[in-house]
Amino acid sequence: MAETLRRVLNLGSAAGPGENTAEAEPPLLLLGGPGSGKTALLFAAALEAAGEGRGPVLFLTRRPLQSLPRRTGAALEPVRLQKIRFQYPPSTRELLRLLCSAHEARGPAPSLLLLDGLEEYLVEDPGSQEAAYLAALLLDTAVHFSHRAGPGRGCGLIVALQTQEEGGDSGNALQLALLQRYFPAQCWLQPDASGPGQCCLLASLEPGGLGPREEWGVTFQPDGEMTITPWPTQAGDTSSHKGSRSGGQP
Amino acid sequence: MRRDANYVTSPLSPAPENAGPAMAAPTGPLTLPAVVEELLSEMAAAVRDGAPIPDEHLLSLKFVFGSSAVQALDLVDHQSVTLISSPSGRRVYQVLGSSGRTYTCLASCHYCSCPAFAFSVLRKGDSLVCKHLLAVYLSQVTRTCQQLSVSDKQLTDILSAEKTQEA
Repeated sequence: MAETLRRVLNLGSAAGPGENTAEAEPPLLLLGGPGSGKTALLFAAALEAAGEGRGPVLFLTRRPLQSLPRRTGAALEPVRLQKIRFQYPPSTRELLRLLCSAHEARGPAPSLLLLDGLEEYLVEDPGSQEAAYLAALLLDTAVHFSHRAGPGRGCGLIVALQTQEEGGDSGNALQLALLQRYFPAQCWLQPDASGPGQCCLLASLEPGGLGPREEWGVTFQPDGEMTITPWPTQAGDTSSHKGSRSGGQP
Repeated sequence: MRRDANYVTSPLSPAPENAGPAMAAPTGPLTLPAVVEELLSEMAAAVRDGAPIPDEHLLSLKFVFGSSAVQALDLVDHQSVTLISSPSGRRVYQVLGSSGRTYTCLASCHYCSCPAFAFSVLRKGDSLVCKHLLAVYLSQVTRTCQQLSVSDKQLTDILSAEKTQEA
């Protein structure tokens, strides 16, 4: 599901409207420490997918968002917001129940399945088999949505996981390694001290064997607005950024 | 007779005979190596042509998977693999293990509820699959899956029950 996120990071300009990009995209794991903008990026991905004229976006999170992340005004249209369906499973058991029964729901199949805060569902049940089953069920649910949507209209999957501040214990490392096997594409959000001027995050997208790593700088303004700039240090693939914002250097 | 080696494009995809629209199998380290997929598709081609599976393929299978290969072939011989599907199109495999316990294998990605999968595949990473998952792939190849249709609600119960049988 790297393509949706790539379009978000390229401000919607990377691959046009993205008619044929959703199929066969590997599921993506969005990784970062507390407050690294994972929710904002997930929400931006939801808005992006909601504007594609396909099925709704299913956004799973343990609790309602505190505020709608701000982005460019055009993207936050009510018609897009209406296509994002939030559900708030309060426990791991409820999340599993939701995924196990996803095929009972009627109506158009979602075009994108998002889960924020996977770590909150893993702390209750830290065994590796439980984590694997949760990851596998997320994949299975997205595959079922793809199947329902029909050929060429796959359902993407992006899951956000909060990483430990300082290394974490071996159990966490093991769990992360396990999840990475189910999510071949990953995007890391890390603070970057060398960023120009203000507090800047480095977003590194590893698309899971479908292309080279790409990087962006992500900055949150005091008013919550997210600005994204192509990371200046990358070499060789500047062509993929030709549509990026002009005057992006802060 | 290898002209149709693409018959099974991936052991993680459903066999065409019982497939609906193509399902996107996830790619990544949790899928089988290309050499194994090739082996399975050659076996599928042999089965499709009505020929017995060549001994060399069975030997390769044993070389790659060790004792799991023999156990998985035993499971296939005993018709222990059942493909359960509901009207929604969602599917899941159940494998009746040699111990008499039933294990759940997801149809869309690598997952089996047995302890060997948790330990050898997930934790230690020294096995590609457990014998149940291998039996699922082999029964797809040999077209010996039992088929069972259940209601959407029953499929939910099967998927949910997997969780509790661990306790």
